[in-house]
Amino acid sequence: MDVISCRQIVIQALELTNQSRSDDTQIPLTDTTVLFGQDGHLDSMALVALLMDIEDALQEQSIDVSLSDEKAMSLSRSPFKDIPSITQYIYDVIAAQA
Amino acid sequence: MQVRNIMITGASRGIGKALVEHFLAMGDTVIGVSRSRSDIVSENYHHFLADVATEADAKHVFTSVKKQLGKLDVLINNAGIARMNAFALTPVSNVQEIMNTNFMGTFIFCQKAINLLRKSPNARIINLSTVAVPLNLAGEAAYAASKSAVETLTRIMAKEIGSFGITCNAIGPSPIATQLISGVGDEKINKLIQQQAIKKMATVEDVTNIVDFYLNPNSHMVTGQIIYLGGIS
Repeated sequence: MDVISCRQIVIQALELTNQSRSDDTQIPLTDTTVLFGQDGHLDSMALVALLMDIEDALQEQSIDVSLSDEKAMSLSRSPFKDIPSITQYIYDVIAAQA
Repeated sequence: MQVRNIMITGASRGIGKALVEHFLAMGDTVIGVSRSRSDIVSENYHHFLADVATEADAKHVFTSVKKQLGKLDVLINNAGIARMNAFALTPVSNVQEIMNTNFMGTFIFCQKAINLLRKSPNARIINLSTVAVPLNLAGEAAYAASKSAVETLTRIMAKEIGSFGITCNAIGPSPIATQLISGVGDEKINKLIQQQAIKKMATVEDVTNIVDFYLNPNSHMVTGQIIYLGGIS
């Protein structure tokens, strides 16, 4: 899977997240939006829900990966900070598994 | 009432089979999981041969349910094994087997179910425990410890998945005449029953009653709870 496809999956998962949020808590789908961490839009359980949606979308393309392992959580720079970092992280996880 | 999709592990006998029959009679769609075949025949019944403690088996079950049914409303983790033995004489292989089925099986099925359950307006997880936990029954160290782990898992999951609209509770049946306790002598069972506030054997209907209570949409504020039969606390 290429980076563009990974990004598309992240965007679609965030659109799903936005569907369950009120108008005043919508997450702007831009590269500079902070998703997780200081001043992030997602709390830890919302991040879990997002990652489950992403894993689900990947599974539909027969890609079976776990995105929230211990290593990801302990990286000094969180891979879940924003759309570009999550996209790159997913691409790396899939590439490492291939 | 809307038809619910209800998954029950350990569905081929005992409490699990009784629950399958109960929900089929109510018009629900039931997904049964067990290591052995089921003799239940119904167009609303789907049976999967699987070992709950094997992650690959669980993946297959949930992938198939997603394709065939699209959503899941209820998961009842009933699959369990018991081996009575003195702690000092219990083979380690027995302990591993008990922990794998009772705790790991419950853990794996809960984890795999979350994504499908999130799509339900009244999502429920119900785990089966036992009165052997609060009674600290001698001779059931491994079994009671595995169910104690299930109870802690139930309480912590309730906190973590509450934001997904999923409640998670457990039931601790007192002795019921099923195959699980068929190897336990009458004297021991009677002694156990004498420790209960209500001194009689329970029935599968007593379990079904608590399950129905947890599944009631009005029970949406009930989560992280363990209900024991017979007045044990």
